[in-house]
Amino acid sequence: MKISRTAAELKTEEQWRYIPAPGHWDEAFRPSGFPRHAWRELAVAIRRMGVKELGRRWDVGRQLIETNGVTYNVYGDPQGKERPWHLDPIPLVIDAAEWQHIERSIAQRATLLNAMLADLYGAQRLIHDRHLPAAILFSNPGFLRPCMGIVPPDGVHLHLYAADLARSRDGTWWVISDRTQNPSGVGYALENRLVSARTLPSVFNQCQVRPLVGFLEKRRRALQMLGAHQSPNPRVVVMTPGPNNETYFEHSFLAHHWGFPLVEGADLTVRDNLVFLKTLAGLERVHVILRRTDDTFCDPLEFRGDSLLGVPGLTQAVRSGNVAMANALGSGLLETAAHMGFLPGLCRQLLGEKLHMPSVATWWCGHLDARRYVVEHLEDLVIKPAHSRPGQNPEFPAAMSADQREALIRRIEASPEDFVAQEQVDLSTAPTHTESGLAPRHVVVRVFASWDGHGYAVMPGGLTRVSTVATSLVVSMQMGGGSKDTWILSSPDHTEVLPAAPSPESAPADPSDLPSRVADNLFWLGRYSERVEAGVRLVRALLPSLSSEEDFGRTASLETTVQIMGALGYLPEEFPEMSIGQQRFSIEHLLSSMVYDPARSSGIGWNLNNIRRVAWPLKERFSQDTWRVLQQLETELSTSAPVHREYRLVAQMNLLDRVIVTLSAFAGLLMENSTRGHGWHFLQIGKRLERSLQTTEFLQATFGDPPFDLDPAMQTILQIADSSITYRTRYFTTLRPEYVLDLLVSDKANPRSLVFQLEALLGHLKKLPGYSESTEMPLPEFLAAAALKKVTETSIAELSARDRDGNMPELEDFVRRLKGDLYDISDALTALHFSHLTSVRFAPVF
Amino acid sequence: MRYQVIHITTYRYDQPVAQCLSEVHLAPRSLPRQRVLETILEIVPQPAVMERRVDYYGNEIASFSIFKRHDRFTVTATSLIEVAATPPEISSRITWEETRAHLTLHPDEESLAAYEFAFDSPFVAASPELAAYGAASFRPGVPLVEAVIDLSHRIHADFSYKPKSTSIDIPLHEVLKLRRGVCQDFAHLMIGVLRSYHLAARYISGYLRSGAKILGAEASHAWVSVFIPGHGWLDLDPTNDVLPSEGHVTVAWGRDYGDVTPVKGISLGGAGQTVDVDVRVVPITGLPVPNNSASELLI
Repeated sequence: MKISRTAAELKTEEQWRYIPAPGHWDEAFRPSGFPRHAWRELAVAIRRMGVKELGRRWDVGRQLIETNGVTYNVYGDPQGKERPWHLDPIPLVIDAAEWQHIERSIAQRATLLNAMLADLYGAQRLIHDRHLPAAILFSNPGFLRPCMGIVPPDGVHLHLYAADLARSRDGTWWVISDRTQNPSGVGYALENRLVSARTLPSVFNQCQVRPLVGFLEKRRRALQMLGAHQSPNPRVVVMTPGPNNETYFEHSFLAHHWGFPLVEGADLTVRDNLVFLKTLAGLERVHVILRRTDDTFCDPLEFRGDSLLGVPGLTQAVRSGNVAMANALGSGLLETAAHMGFLPGLCRQLLGEKLHMPSVATWWCGHLDARRYVVEHLEDLVIKPAHSRPGQNPEFPAAMSADQREALIRRIEASPEDFVAQEQVDLSTAPTHTESGLAPRHVVVRVFASWDGHGYAVMPGGLTRVSTVATSLVVSMQMGGGSKDTWILSSPDHTEVLPAAPSPESAPADPSDLPSRVADNLFWLGRYSERVEAGVRLVRALLPSLSSEEDFGRTASLETTVQIMGALGYLPEEFPEMSIGQQRFSIEHLLSSMVYDPARSSGIGWNLNNIRRVAWPLKERFSQDTWRVLQQLETELSTSAPVHREYRLVAQMNLLDRVIVTLSAFAGLLMENSTRGHGWHFLQIGKRLERSLQTTEFLQATFGDPPFDLDPAMQTILQIADSSITYRTRYFTTLRPEYVLDLLVSDKANPRSLVFQLEALLGHLKKLPGYSESTEMPLPEFLAAAALKKVTETSIAELSARDRDGNMPELEDFVRRLKGDLYDISDALTALHFSHLTSVRFAPVF
Repeated sequence: MRYQVIHITTYRYDQPVAQCLSEVHLAPRSLPRQRVLETILEIVPQPAVMERRVDYYGNEIASFSIFKRHDRFTVTATSLIEVAATPPEISSRITWEETRAHLTLHPDEESLAAYEFAFDSPFVAASPELAAYGAASFRPGVPLVEAVIDLSHRIHADFSYKPKSTSIDIPLHEVLKLRRGVCQDFAHLMIGVLRSYHLAARYISGYLRSGAKILGAEASHAWVSVFIPGHGWLDLDPTNDVLPSEGHVTVAWGRDYGDVTPVKGISLGGAGQTVDVDVRVVPITGLPVPNNSASELLI
C-alpha cells in the first residue's frame, strides 16, 4: 500500500523529527539516530501515533492532572500560589540491566548515609578516627545538638531517601544530590504514572513497565511497623507544614493514599512525653509521625527560635521513645554536598564495600589541598554553599569578571568550610514535547529508597525532571521545569510480587478523628459563605433604588435603602446632614464599594477573602470543582467598576445576578460532595447560625424604626430573603407585617425562616461527638433548644403589634434577645470544640 | 567564698494560659573551682511532668509542663555554692595564630572538643566587620592571652552598658553599630570576634556577686571563655573587664545564649506576657556546711 503524503503531513513529519543535542548523552537515541534498545517500542508507538494524536493525548493527560488537582506551590508567588503540575507526555525509559545498577547503588548509598547518621549522632567514631573532618560536622547548621544520643527504633534514622541522578556524556550515572530529611517526589511520581499509563496504555502494557504501587504499600507497612513496639495498632500521622508548602499536594495525596490523617503541628500536643492528636472526641495517641516538616521546624521548644510551626515538646517525646519519626529528627545533617568527596572512603570504612555509584566531583574547601585546587581551577567549577542556606545560589566563576572572582576567593578564604566546588554537571537529554515538536531537554532523575524493616527497597521508577529551555542545565520545579514519568522495564525473568490489599484492620478512620482545627475552619467557612450571600442579596435588592428608571422591575426606593443601610450601620454619621445629592452619591459609593472593594470591611470581597483564608487549609477536603467555583467567584468579583454611571448600575446588577448563581454552585458543591461526617455538621452549623443572625439583622432593619409606610421595606426584605414568590403564592394579598413575620420567623416550611434555621441547627448539634458520654446536655445544644422554643412559642400577632408611636416594641425585644442567644451559641460551641490557643514563646530578655 | 544564689523568674499573663512547656538551665555546674552543695528548683503552679537531663554541653537541663490554667508561673532556683579564689591562669605565651593552627589540627580530644566552639552558631556568626573590630587586638604574633585581654578592655571602653537597651532579637552587627548593649551582647560580640579569627570561644551563663561597681549583678550574667591550648579555658568578662574568679558563679555554657537560655518555653494561649527576673547572690559566712553535698542535690 502506497501512502501519499500531503504537504501538511510532510510539515508535521518535519516537526516530528527529533535531533538530539550534540555533545550530550541522549537517553532515547544513539548518535546514529537509531533509538536505544529500551526505547524502541516507545519510539515506534509515538511515531505511529503522530504528533496530532500525541498532542490530543497530552491534552487528556493535562485534564487528568487538573482533575486530580496535582499542583506545586511556588514560594513567593502572591497570586494564586499554586500552579498545575507539568508533565511531559513522553516518559523516560530505563532498561532492566541499567536499573539493576541504579537500584543496587541507591540502596547502598541509603545504607551508608544511615550508618553515617547513626555514627554522627552517636559515638562519632568517624570524627574521632578522622574519616570525616570535624569541621564538616561542626560547621553544618543541620547538626542538631539536642538530637545527640537519640537512638531511633532499630537504629534507623533514614526511612525515605532520595537521590538526584544525572548522566554524563559517556553514559555514566552520577549522584548529584542527596535528600535525607523529608524527600519529596514519591506522590508526584505516582500521579505521573496514573496519567502516563492512561495516555499511553498500549505501549505501557507492551513495555512491561514495573508498577509503583507495591513500593507505596511497602512503605505504608514500614511506617506502621515503626510503631509496632508501642502498640499493636499504631496510629500514624502525616505532618505537613501546611497548604503553603511547595509540595502540599503530595502530603495530602500520600496521606489519603495510605489512609493516615494529615495533620499540622497545631493539631498535635505533647503530654507526659506522649504525642496526641487533638480531635473532636478528645486526645488520641500518636505513635508514628511521617513528617514533611524540616528538622528545625518540628519543635519550637528545642529548635528554631522564630517559628511556632511544630509541636512543642516533640523532641523530648522522641527522646523518651514514645513516638517514632520518619525521617528521624536531625537527618537533615546529610543534606549537604560537603561530605560527597569523602563517601568512597566512608563506604569502605562503614560497609566494607566499594561505592557503587560516584557522586559528582566535589571539593570541600575546608580541606587545604582541595581549596588550593579550587582556587587554581576556579573557572571550571561551580561554587556552592557547603550547607544549604536559604537565599544562597550556586555561583559560576566562568561567567565572572576578574574582580568578582577575587572577591569570591576572599569569601572562600574567610570561611572555607562553608563552600564546596563542583564540576559542572553534564546532563543527558531526552525527547520532550514542545510547542515546536519534539526537542531535546536536559533531565535529572530522582530515585527513592525506603527502609522496609530489613534493608532499603528502591522504588522501581522515579521522578524525572526536565529543564525548561534547551540550553539550561538548571532543572528545578521551583523554576518552572517540567517532569516525566519514569519507566523501568522488567527483565524477562522478573516477576513482580504485588503486596496484598491493605489488611482490614486499617479500617476507615473514625469520624471523631476530625482535628479540632479543621472543625473550626469548617464552621467559619459556613459562616462566611452565608455572609457573602447575604451581602450580595442585600446589595442586589437595594441597587435599583439608585436607578432613575421607573420600570426597573424591582421595588426598593431610595428612602428604603437609607432606612435599611442606616439600621445596618453602614451609613456615615454625617449622613442625615447631607444634601439629597450627597446622600445619593454616598449610597451609590457605598453599594459600589461593597461589591468592588475587597478592602472594605464586611463587604462582599472582604468576606470572600475570608472564605479563601479558612478554606485554604482544608484544601484536600474539597473537590477540584469546588476550588474552581471559588476561583470563578473571585474572578467575577475582581472586575473593577465601570466608569459610566448608568452602565455601572446595569453592570453591577448583572454581576450580582451571576455571583448569586456561582455562589449557589459553591454552596451546592460544599453540601452535596461532602460526606455527612462531623465536618459537614460543622459547616452546616456555621451556615445556619449565620443565616439566623443575618435574618435577625434584616428584621431589625425593616421593623426596628418603622416608617409610616412599611411596604417598600417589607418588599425589600422578602427579596433579600428570597421569599417574595413564596409570599405571593401563599398570601396573594398586599403586604402585611404579620404575614411577612410569619413567613420569616415561624414558617417551618420556608428554608429561610428562623424556625427552619434553628431546627436545622439543633439537628446538627445533636450529631456532634462526645455528647452521649455526658448525661448533661452540652451547652450549645441547650442554648439552641431554648432559642428554638422561644421562637416557636412567640405569637406573631404580638410581634407585629404597633404601639401609639407606631413602633413594634415586642418585635424589637424579640430580635434583640434572639441575637444575643445566637452569639451565646457560637461562643459555647467555640469553648467546647475549638482550641483557639496559639503558642506564645517566652524567654527572658534583659 | 560560699554563696546562696536565688534566681526567681516570674511570668504574668494578661489572660490565663492553658498549658506551658518549659526548659530551664538553672542548676550551676560542678567545676574544679566551683563546688555545688545543693540546688533546689521550685515551680508554681506545680508541673505535671518534670524531668532532668544533661545536654550536649554537659549542662543540666530541667524540663517541665504545666497543664493547669494559670495566669502566672514562677520558677525559683536556689543554690548553695562554694567558689574557690583561684587566680586566672594567664601565663601562656602561645600566639593566636599558633592557637588557630592547633585548633585546625586538633591533635587531641581536648582540642577537638574545643574546636566546635570556633564555628558559627545561631546567634553568633563570624563576619568581616567583627574581624575588623578585632584587628587592633589580633596583631600578628601577639600571644592569645594578651590579645583577648586587650579585646575585653576595648569592648569595655568602646561600648556603653545600657540595661534594657537591647533584646536578644538585636543582631550582632547592630550591637557593633550602636556601641551599646548588655552583658549577653558583649559576650556575643567578643565570641564573634574570636570566631572571626577561627578561635574557639564559648558563652558562659552565670551569676555575679553583687557589689557597688559591678554591672549586671541583679540579673543573670554572661561572659566568655576562650580556649588556650595546653592550659584549657580562660574566662573573661568584657562587661566588667575583669578575669572572673571568686565573684563569678558559672551555671552553664554553650555556643551562645540560645544553648543555655536560663528559662525558655512555649505557652498555649495568653497573648500578653510580662516577665520579672530577680537574682540575689548572697555571700554566706559562718554557716554550717552540709557534709555530703552530692546526696542532697535536689532539683
